[in-house]
Amino acid sequence: MAEGRFVGRSVHRVEDPKLLTGSTRFIDDLALPGMLHCAILRSPHAHARVLSVDTSEALSLPGVAAVVSGEDALRWTERALTVPAGWGTHCLATDRVRFAGEPVAAVAATSRALAEDALERIRVEYAPLPAVVDAGRAARPESTPLFEEHGHNIVFQRRFRWGDVEAAFRGADRVVERSFRWHRLGANPMETFGVISQWDPVEGSLTCHGSFQSQSQMALGRAASLRLPSHKVRLISQPHGGSFGGKGGSRGTDITALLSRKAGGRPVKWIEDRIEYMSGGASQSWDRHYTASLALDRDGRVGAFRVKLLDDLGATAEGFGAVSAAKPLASFTGCYAIPVAEYDLTIVATNKLPGSPYRGMGPPPHNLVLEQLMDVAARELALDPAEIRRRNFIPPDRFPYTIPSGNEYDSGNYEAALDAVLELSDYAALRARQGAARAQGRLFGIGVVSTIEPGVFDWNAYSILGMPSTGVPEGCSVAIDILGKVIVRVGFAHEGQGQYTIATQLLADFFGVELADVQVVPQDSLSAPPHFGPGGSRLGVALAGAVLGAAEKLARKLSLVAAHLLQTESEKIELRDGAFAIRGVPGAMLSLAQVAGTMLARSDLLPPGVEPSPEATYVWTAPGRTQPDELGRAKSYLTAANACHVVAIEIDRETGRVEILDYFIADDCGTRLNPATVEGMIQGGVAQGIGAALLEEYHYDASGQPLTATLMDYLLPTIHDVPETRKTAIVTPSPFTPLGAKGVGEGAMHTTPAAMLCAINDALSPLGVVATEIPATPERLWRLMKEQPR
Amino acid sequence: MSETFTIRLSVNGCELEGRAEARTSLADFLRHELGLTGTHVGCEHGVCGACTILLDGAPARSCLTLAVQASGARVETVEGLAVDGELHPIQRAFLEERGLQCGFCTPGFLVSTLELLRRNREPSDDEIRDALGGQICRCTGYQSILASVRRAAEKLRETDGG
Repeated sequence: MAEGRFVGRSVHRVEDPKLLTGSTRFIDDLALPGMLHCAILRSPHAHARVLSVDTSEALSLPGVAAVVSGEDALRWTERALTVPAGWGTHCLATDRVRFAGEPVAAVAATSRALAEDALERIRVEYAPLPAVVDAGRAARPESTPLFEEHGHNIVFQRRFRWGDVEAAFRGADRVVERSFRWHRLGANPMETFGVISQWDPVEGSLTCHGSFQSQSQMALGRAASLRLPSHKVRLISQPHGGSFGGKGGSRGTDITALLSRKAGGRPVKWIEDRIEYMSGGASQSWDRHYTASLALDRDGRVGAFRVKLLDDLGATAEGFGAVSAAKPLASFTGCYAIPVAEYDLTIVATNKLPGSPYRGMGPPPHNLVLEQLMDVAARELALDPAEIRRRNFIPPDRFPYTIPSGNEYDSGNYEAALDAVLELSDYAALRARQGAARAQGRLFGIGVVSTIEPGVFDWNAYSILGMPSTGVPEGCSVAIDILGKVIVRVGFAHEGQGQYTIATQLLADFFGVELADVQVVPQDSLSAPPHFGPGGSRLGVALAGAVLGAAEKLARKLSLVAAHLLQTESEKIELRDGAFAIRGVPGAMLSLAQVAGTMLARSDLLPPGVEPSPEATYVWTAPGRTQPDELGRAKSYLTAANACHVVAIEIDRETGRVEILDYFIADDCGTRLNPATVEGMIQGGVAQGIGAALLEEYHYDASGQPLTATLMDYLLPTIHDVPETRKTAIVTPSPFTPLGAKGVGEGAMHTTPAAMLCAINDALSPLGVVATEIPATPERLWRLMKEQPR
Repeated sequence: MSETFTIRLSVNGCELEGRAEARTSLADFLRHELGLTGTHVGCEHGVCGACTILLDGAPARSCLTLAVQASGARVETVEGLAVDGELHPIQRAFLEERGLQCGFCTPGFLVSTLELLRRNREPSDDEIRDALGGQICRCTGYQSILASVRRAAEKLRETDGG
């Protein structure tokens, strides 16, 4: 099956013709009759009490249909459910604002411009409070609490200890310790969030079209926050222009729902503009302060890994941003056979934008820390970075392998990936180039990094912070229509990963039809089988499980009918070249259309008791997942993909600018269902990783004002910043997934930031300084070089 | 702000007419007044390039251009590339080389590529980077876009030759 006519091949994407002609309907391309447009008034203060909101003048402006503020939120909504619990707010500020950009009031009017005009007529009285901007201070008891009921700003605190870490450090030949700073960055998909909400005053129901990454998840949250019965909330996910975890949208959906309700049920559209996205949306993630250490023996074997993390969450725990600090448990010790480890985790609330999920969901900074320490140790022990990694790799014969933090890696061959990338890069020649460059006084560096990408996300990874579930069901329905065409109904919209193509490939191979004979039809949150959609490097594997499960179920059903019509037993029927045939009897066959058509139009010919439905539904979830034990250990993410990157860079001594000279990748994500799609995921992750390493950072001033609210201040990588990489594939299939595929959607984001900083530090090593902060901007590197020890 | 102006312009070879306030951007006018939603708006401040269209043959940010400025102009958008659903060679090249993932930025890349290849049938990689340096793609990491433009140039050269 993995080498079918289509599966395993880089077939063209079925999504692309519509995208290329501009005919895919994104949310802002949609208009409903009578539609109003929403604009949102946002807090100019990072922390303040809201004393009064006067909307009367705005409401009197011609064209304004409704205005909502905190009092409407109190009347009709609940605070957002959060993980950890109790750190959420209403969609509009009620008595206090906790970040600059927090929604305070909103207007629905006949045009967006008019709605924005009306915002100027809303009067809000604030009483500013001291802004908590520094994470270290936020952790102290004297800091002004953002949530008075808690009395402090510590959202979560726990020290996980797996094994006798103290003894390992006491007995070590060498200990390396460093502090690291990963600054706030985030997803920034090219399309921001957008929604059209329509309240039905007769049914008391809500229907929303929107760019929802997970419509079912969002629907459940809206039912809770809007106090609606869950079956009265229908969310329809539109195709969207990327997400990377950072699409968000819960506040915007609630606010437009309230406006529609107040406007008597007229649909209300809100398209988040880029400034709103960057200062008030799901744009920011991972504001982290690390201190970490390794205990090693004299040969460079790591005996223990200790991490202390202070995670600056921002103002609330809405949007699942906090849980990203838990995901590193899924791959805490990376590719290495490190026997014991410790994670001392503190998450604090500050008056910044609440953190959101972002591609990788937490491990990218963690990997950066571990990989830097490996290099620091290698330098101290005079080992090549490739060699210290090789000495510590989990050997290929020890899988499945359980890491100290509890997750089980399915399979891997890390040394093979390392060897492949060393060969691809001609590593010895690269080191020789470095030697020659150094002889000329140039700062030439090489990064060699191996990481794990946990794939197939599971809620249980987040149980330690209060997420109650195990398993993430993904379902689909497969049907054969009366003319033999294949239809698959799924619960997610196009987002960019090419999943409709994967489903099409799988079904075309399974039923022996052409790609053009398969149609993927997205369903809304009330129509689709249980689903989550894209997220957590999961959908390719989960969708394959769902599609194949449904197809097999359907084939069994159709075989019964075919057997009856061919007057044989169903065990003798096989599905071959798009037809049900009697095994070993040439010519005795019925086409898909004949079997499905009989079911749908000739009930008189059916065997007794057969339901006339050429359709089957299957819901897949990862097998064998467990709730965490008392030490927080769980079997969480099902697959462990592995990547090994080698990057060569040069730092300009005068400007601190990093130039990427060459970039090489060996990636093992198991079976590749569509290799070109995998390569696209990897290259996209490289670009985001380079952004993280060199460019992207959200700044705040001391009063909590955001200073990066446009793409002129927040630098996304352009075609000038991202190199063409050379890639090679290692294939170690997963024994736990339908076709041996592993999650790869978050791809190189796990590896590139670490590889870049390792290369930068390799370049800086002749100066005796270490860069421990990313993005490693020209200014930061320039200062570091100036401060070098003489 | 409610005074509106009549705008007449040529879009993809068709003479069209619509009404816009003085403050209406060309992007909003194309999308919401003329219903040509293939041009996308990513940042509204001229950085991302998703909204790029050709204005009298030159690339322009339709989010920073006012609709009234385009009165009498010749505008080309992504909708003008394919004919009766048959992809333009540039679109075909992006399909074959996977020069897109989410597709939101793609219309801007396509029209910028069109403009480049009209004036330069055999661009070097640096010339391609220069032409596309103002377009941001968050998905692909650009490698496949570079390959797409190279392939599009080949296809157009073949067409020229044939």
